Formats: sequence, structure tokens, C-alpha cells
Amino acid sequence: MRFSIKKQLLTVWMFFIINTKRFFRDRLAIFFSIGFPLIFLFVFGGLNSGGGDISFNVALINQSQSDFAGQFETQLKDSDIVSVNEEVTTIDDARDRMSRSELDATIVLPDTFGALTETGPTGNAQVIFTQNNAQSGAALTSILDQQFAAINSEFVDTSVPFTVTSEQLNERSLSAFDYAFAGLLGFAIIGMGIFGPMNVFPELKKMGILRRLSTTPLRVWQYFLATMMGQAVIGIIGIAIMFIVAIAVFNLEMVGNWFELGLFIVLGITMILGIGLALGGWAKNERQVAPLGNIIVFPMLFLSGTFFPRFLMPEWVQGISTYLPLTPVIDGIRLITTEGRHLIEILPQLGLIGIWMVVIYIIAFRVFRWE
Amino acid sequence: MEYMIEVKGLKKRYGDRMAVDGVSFSVKKGEIFGILGPNGAGKTTTLEMMETLRTIDGGSVTIDGIDVKSNPRAIKYLIGVQPQTPAFQDKSRLTEVIELFAAAYGERVDAMAFLRDVDLEDKAKSYVENLSGGQKQRLSITTALVHGPKVFFLDEPTTGLDPQARRHLWELIEKVRDKGISVIMTTHYMDEAEMLCDRIAVMDNGKIVAIDTPKNLIKQLLQRGFKKEQEVEQANLEDVFIDLTGKDLREDV
Repeated sequence: MRFSIKKQLLTVWMFFIINTKRFFRDRLAIFFSIGFPLIFLFVFGGLNSGGGDISFNVALINQSQSDFAGQFETQLKDSDIVSVNEEVTTIDDARDRMSRSELDATIVLPDTFGALTETGPTGNAQVIFTQNNAQSGAALTSILDQQFAAINSEFVDTSVPFTVTSEQLNERSLSAFDYAFAGLLGFAIIGMGIFGPMNVFPELKKMGILRRLSTTPLRVWQYFLATMMGQAVIGIIGIAIMFIVAIAVFNLEMVGNWFELGLFIVLGITMILGIGLALGGWAKNERQVAPLGNIIVFPMLFLSGTFFPRFLMPEWVQGISTYLPLTPVIDGIRLITTEGRHLIEILPQLGLIGIWMVVIYIIAFRVFRWE
Repeated sequence: MEYMIEVKGLKKRYGDRMAVDGVSFSVKKGEIFGILGPNGAGKTTTLEMMETLRTIDGGSVTIDGIDVKSNPRAIKYLIGVQPQTPAFQDKSRLTEVIELFAAAYGERVDAMAFLRDVDLEDKAKSYVENLSGGQKQRLSITTALVHGPKVFFLDEPTTGLDPQARRHLWELIEKVRDKGISVIMTTHYMDEAEMLCDRIAVMDNGKIVAIDTPKNLIKQLLQRGFKKEQEVEQANLEDVFIDLTGKDLREDV
């Protein structure tokens, strides 16, 4: 009776329930596990959004009184490609702002612009830019060129022997944000799974709470399992909030299966949590665990594609980072979210997570100490 | 069986030093057994070996006929442990602390009943961080009894408490003894040992130098011709303090 499985699971269940309740009463803990990654989401999301369509900040100096110039001005202001800074009215002011890179370029319509001749209106618009903004200047010039070509063809009947047409494929490619988002989830998982227990366990040891528990029949696996269940719940809630924000604010398109994604994330959290349990379970105090924790966490943060895509790294770094514990988690989330892969199609990632899970938990159980 | 606990030739070595060097004693069912001694005498180490927290280097401890060294898991169900400074995780309600400890033994209990035992039922829904030192001690005592242990260990339970809280704690410890539980405690307060303990072991340098009832120990000393320089008064300063301030607990802030 004493060692019945039912009683042992009751222990796990009660520890899970009470500790999870405690977590949700602790504002600081909530901030660090849920709020903190959200802040990163907003920062990175803000940086990456609008990466798809280029927009130029320009000033428009219209010195012409002609109708044509007026029409041109309204059209330009309605355009998606350029945003016209209406505060600027003189060339000197525009020059000033361009030197501070506040403006990408300035478009000048001289007083002769749009003047009527026998064949219709003519004119020459000027694009002014500084050295720093040579690229935007050139791009803007060619855009205007095309627009004028279209206008010209309406006034002058010409036959064009060679043309080129472009067609946009409907297949979605990853936007910068889509790519960054999986990395941000990886960052959140690290925060919850590693930094959490890494900081909490030594504190519990210092207070003698774990020691007191060790005089009871509580077993390490029960304690770990209860912690795991708690982290999985907190992790799923935190990540769900990140998804809601990403979809609502940053137009993330989730094409995969939510259930499979949830399952995969729980696996990822469990594996990463093992690292936190091993570190926190081993350390006698905070001072001991901090350096070791940083040695393990930071390379993973940088090499596993949390903040920059792995494909930008040198080949040999990619070769190593493929096998880091966090990499298959981030890659897997990305494959499910953006490519709609099913679990059966990401077996390499699942396998790697499984291998790490075994290795990490063997270490965690070996090194755990109650005081 | 007459004795609940039997300790025979217990030894613990730290490097070259014998922290506990051949300690033997027995504790009866339903008695309060005190271990006294200066710091470093080996009191806490002795307790920790009995509590399965430290490995036993030599000798043996049996509790209720079960050997501690060979069957520590079974022992854990028989003992309750009150640490020197009870600590609980913040944001836990008192009822939850009790449910948690009961769960560690795979049990569900009526938390309120256990809180009532130590006069904490009106604090049931408070968080542990809002308790006073004495209240934490009482909560800790009741959490150590959730599974109905046969032996109860207390390590310096009244250190840092005011006289009212101490007296209240003594009453609680006597109540535990009256349930038939064997209580083993360490203390640095001689008045506490004299009032509370049925028998006392005095330790020094890892060895027991005397075991008897407090009365007999005093009698033996007097028989050796010991005399106090000052005449013993019929009351002491603590009696004055309690007379002036009363016995009511002062922590219901």
C-alpha cells in the first residue's frame, strides 16, 4: 500500500497543482516567464515588420504652378511606396534633413514642370540625394522613371518592340518576422526552462526547503515530474500569448496544425527544462550556477538561431549548431508554423530532441542534491 | 517493545575528526528526550543520521524495530522533522503547505484540523510569508505530523522566540508527547530542557557524557558537593516577565 503507484502520482499531482497556483500569484515570476519574452517579441517584431515593402521618406518641393505638377503631387502623396514629409518646403531644409538621414531623398519639380508645349505637357523632375542614401536615391529615380514612361506613352504614341512583364508567385516565402518568431519562442523556452529552475533551486536549498522535503518520502522523479508539468502549463500559456500577439499585431501566418505544434512545444520545453533542472539541482548556491549556466545558455542562444538565422553563419558553425539542444526545437517550431509540416515529417528534429532528453535527464538525476 | 528508538555506537567521521564518536542511547515511546551540548558537540549530526539525512559511518539506529541505515525509505514514514529555521515557499497558503507535505507521503488530509491543533485556523488562507516566527514554528510542527509519525525530531525549536511563544511551543510539544509520539529535541536553553524533557543526554566532543532525568542529573551534581555562589531565589527574572506581561501570545498582528 505504502508504495502504491496511485499514491506516488497523488504526490506529483498535488505538488504540480500547488506550485502552479503559487506561480500565478507571483507577479515577478509571471513577468519574467511571460512578460519578458513578449517585450522581446515587440522589439523584434517592430524591427522586422514592414520588411516586405520598401518605403521612402521623401520631401517634395513643388515650384511649379501647372495643373500637371499639382496632379503629380497628389498622386505621390497617395502612393504606398513613398511617404512625403509635408513639413519640408525649402531645398535647404530638405538638404539638412537628408544629411541627418531623416529623409531618403528629395524630389524637386522646377517651375517649368508641366509647362504646355505643342505636343502636350513636358518637364523634368529632379531627385536629390546624399551619398549615404545613394541606393534609395537610385531606386526612387528608377521608380519615377517608370511612372513617367507610362505617362509618356499616353501622350506619345509609340510602339515598344521589347517588353518585360513580371508575375508574383502566390507561394509564400518566409518573411523576416516569420523567421524571427520561432527564434523568439526558443528564447522564451530557454527563459522558462533554464533560468527558472537555475535561480529557484539554489534559493530553495539555501532556505532549507529542499532539505526539509528530503526527510519525507518524496522522490526526485516525483519532484521533477511535478516541476515539468507546471512548466509545460506555464510554457503553453506564455507561448499561446506570444502567438496571439504575433498573429494579431505582426500578421504571423500559422499554417501548421495547432495540436501538433502544442505537442512539439511541450516536448521542447520538457527537454530544455532538463538543463535547468540539472544546473539548479546540482548547484549549491547561486554563485556556483551562474557562470556554468551562462556557458551553456549563451552559445545556444546565439548559435541555435534565436536572434539571427542560422543560414547566415559560416558552414562549420552551422555544422556544430545543428546538434545543440535548442536548434531542433526552434527549427521544428518554424517548420510546423511556417511550412505546415506534420510531426511525421520532422522526425530528425524529434529524434534529436529525444536523444538530448535522455542525455540531459540522466545527468539531471545523477547530479541532483537536496542541499 | 519498550524502546521506540535504539542508538548503538553511532559514529560519523568528517576527515580526521570524529563528529560523532560512539553515541548510544534509547528513547521510550511517548517521552521527550533532550540532547544538550555546546556548539560542535555533534548534536545536529546525531539527529541528521537518525533522520536519514546523513550516512551512518558506524554503529546503528533502529526506529520502531527498523534499521535506519538499511531501510531509510521506511524510516521516512515513521519520522517527522522540524528543522532549525522553518522555511516555506512564498505565496503558499497555510492549508496548501499542509496539503503539500501530506502529499509527499501520498496522503490527503483535512488541513484545517492540523491548523486547529496549533491554533492557526484563523490564518488558514494567509500566505506563509505573513506569519511571525512563532507561527512559522507552529506551522512547521504541524506539517511534520501530517502523516502520523511515531518519532518527532526538533532542532532548537525555540531559538529566537519571545517568552510567550516559547511557552506556547512547549505546550504543543507536550501535546505531541501525550499522543504517544517520541520526541527528540536539541536545545541550548537549560530552563527549557529542565521543564520540558523527560530525559536528557549531554554531549561533548562527539560523545555522550551523561544521560538521565533532569532531576537526577541535578541531584548527582549536588551529591558531588556542588554549591551555587548565589542563593537560589524562589522566582527568576522570566517569572517576573511572564507575571508582568501574561502568557497570551502576541503575534496576531
